[in-house]
Amino acid sequence: MVDRLERLTDLVLVLLRDQRPKSLREIASEVPGYPVQEGEARRQAFERDKRTLRDGGIEVTAMPIDGPEQVGYLIRPEDYYLPDLDLAPDEQAALNLAVAGVHLGDPSGRDALWRLGLPASTGARPVAELPALPALPVLHAALRARATVSFDYRRERRRVDPAQLRFHGGWWYLVGHDLDRAAPRTFRVDRMNGELSAAAPGSVLLPDGFDPDAALPDVPWQIGDGAVVTVVVHVDAALAGLVLDEVGESALERRHDDGSVVLHLEVTNTAALRSWLFELGDHAEVIGPDEVRAGVVSWLEAVAGAS
Amino acid sequence: MTARVDAGSRLLRLLAVLTWLARQGRATVSELSERFGLDADELIADLELAACCGLPPYSPDQLMEIIVDDQEVIADLGTELARPRRLTAAEGFALAASARAILAVPGADPDGALRRALAKLEAVLGGRGLLRVDLREPAHLAVIREASDAGQQLELVYYSASSDRESTRVVDPVSVRLIEGQWYLDGYCHNVTGMRRFRVDRVSAARLTGEPACHGAGDSDTDGDDAGPQSSEAFVPGPEATVTRLAVDDDAVWITEALLNSTSEPLPDGRTGVTLAVASTVWFGRLLLRLGPHAEVLDPPELAETGRQAARQLLARYRSTPTP
Repeated sequence: MVDRLERLTDLVLVLLRDQRPKSLREIASEVPGYPVQEGEARRQAFERDKRTLRDGGIEVTAMPIDGPEQVGYLIRPEDYYLPDLDLAPDEQAALNLAVAGVHLGDPSGRDALWRLGLPASTGARPVAELPALPALPVLHAALRARATVSFDYRRERRRVDPAQLRFHGGWWYLVGHDLDRAAPRTFRVDRMNGELSAAAPGSVLLPDGFDPDAALPDVPWQIGDGAVVTVVVHVDAALAGLVLDEVGESALERRHDDGSVVLHLEVTNTAALRSWLFELGDHAEVIGPDEVRAGVVSWLEAVAGAS
Repeated sequence: MTARVDAGSRLLRLLAVLTWLARQGRATVSELSERFGLDADELIADLELAACCGLPPYSPDQLMEIIVDDQEVIADLGTELARPRRLTAAEGFALAASARAILAVPGADPDGALRRALAKLEAVLGGRGLLRVDLREPAHLAVIREASDAGQQLELVYYSASSDRESTRVVDPVSVRLIEGQWYLDGYCHNVTGMRRFRVDRVSAARLTGEPACHGAGDSDTDGDDAGPQSSEAFVPGPEATVTRLAVDDDAVWITEALLNSTSEPLPDGRTGVTLAVASTVWFGRLLLRLGPHAEVLDPPELAETGRQAARQLLARYRSTPTP
């Protein structure tokens, strides 16, 4: 009985070394451990090995060949080997520290360092934790391949030409051109569901001048497509300094003698503004316009009156 | 301690070891097991198996030449295996995202080495500027990070949302980390004589006291600093924290992602049950305001009134004359 690891290792070497497609019969005769009898069991064992290799990022290419079996297999060097990154020692060290400093929820970064032949660094303390989502590597690969992606979002199927993956304010976003709406759109990656699929490489056609960097504003109340409303907010002295640090001096309309401030905020997403305001408790109050103030009051009344 | 690992993962691990060995020629067993984070027995077993692999007809000259003894591994593997394998999608993403994240930390790449490494990486992966990481930069982040790196004590003016008060604290920093988009300082707070977590954007003044930090990083085995990168390790909810359960509908389910240290489960009525530790009714009242009609306190019943009270209190402000 041949260990499956041994069969897989031999399979990689056999498919990689000769650089010509080999039929399954040829492969079974060269790689110990496949069922001796030609037939379904052998085919299934080989398909299973192919899947295992693909899951590990080793692509087995099928191509037509002469002979009774008509299809042969090989691992193309360009699919297997990493082009030389040619990293200088200080660059290697910096990459190492970066991987040690960022916690992404799985060991992929450390695996990548192995791949590059770099020692995984020990002892460095993590600096940042970014949420790990299974969709991220898929979207990143689609971006690199310039492939249109589709996914379910708010109970609708969306088709998007991806332009950028962006971590912002604690969330991962996909910035892209929505094909059905013919407009730029931004999607929270953690809210995508359904099957995430990528079309053929090279299918992306972004409109001229598409600027992904312009897609996300710095403050949550500008995330959204609503009409711009200038909301006047009063913040008392206790939190005025911290809030000004956050929104910037440009929002400052007036500073009162008691240390409180009046801010003018350009808002396209009043729900996000409300959530931000309530974090400030009764240190902040919407002064106007009337409809925004009334919206806050009726939200509060709903909470106060709920039994 | 041998975890069961599937054949695919073992293969990738073995190929990584072989790639490294092919370049080096020889290495000690302890060096290899340390470098690849492998148990020495597992490593030797996999290498002995690899010594039986090669090309047909599997005569000795066609097998991989790997000699393993107790101490050392000697290998002559030819050039095919010496070249590193391509990165998987997950690995490419992890490298690029890690590098981007560190580059977004002010002052983290003083000599530009990481920027150069990332440019080379992106050239190979295909695609420049496809990934962007924005990290907030609170006003006092730089001095707090500097103090933490240098093991220096800090004096902070800190607004605590749980007590709704600003106070001056003396803190020995242990670590400064970005967790889900927020910068946090974990440290020993001399005012409460214990470990506390501070949100850096709630610091309105920070200065070095000139004293070295005496607690924290130095005695890491007692404060859990070495416990790993889990975000919750250093978090101390405090003895007064109450375990609380909420039911939230789809419009409020974001809190399961936004709150550290919460757990969630689906409820029979289609809503989501969220369990969290509440250390402050002020903080909890504001959370309930944000969730609005989309959340209900299930347990304990005495906290159910918190949201209504917070709403009434804020309404009273709105019902008095608008602030000029």
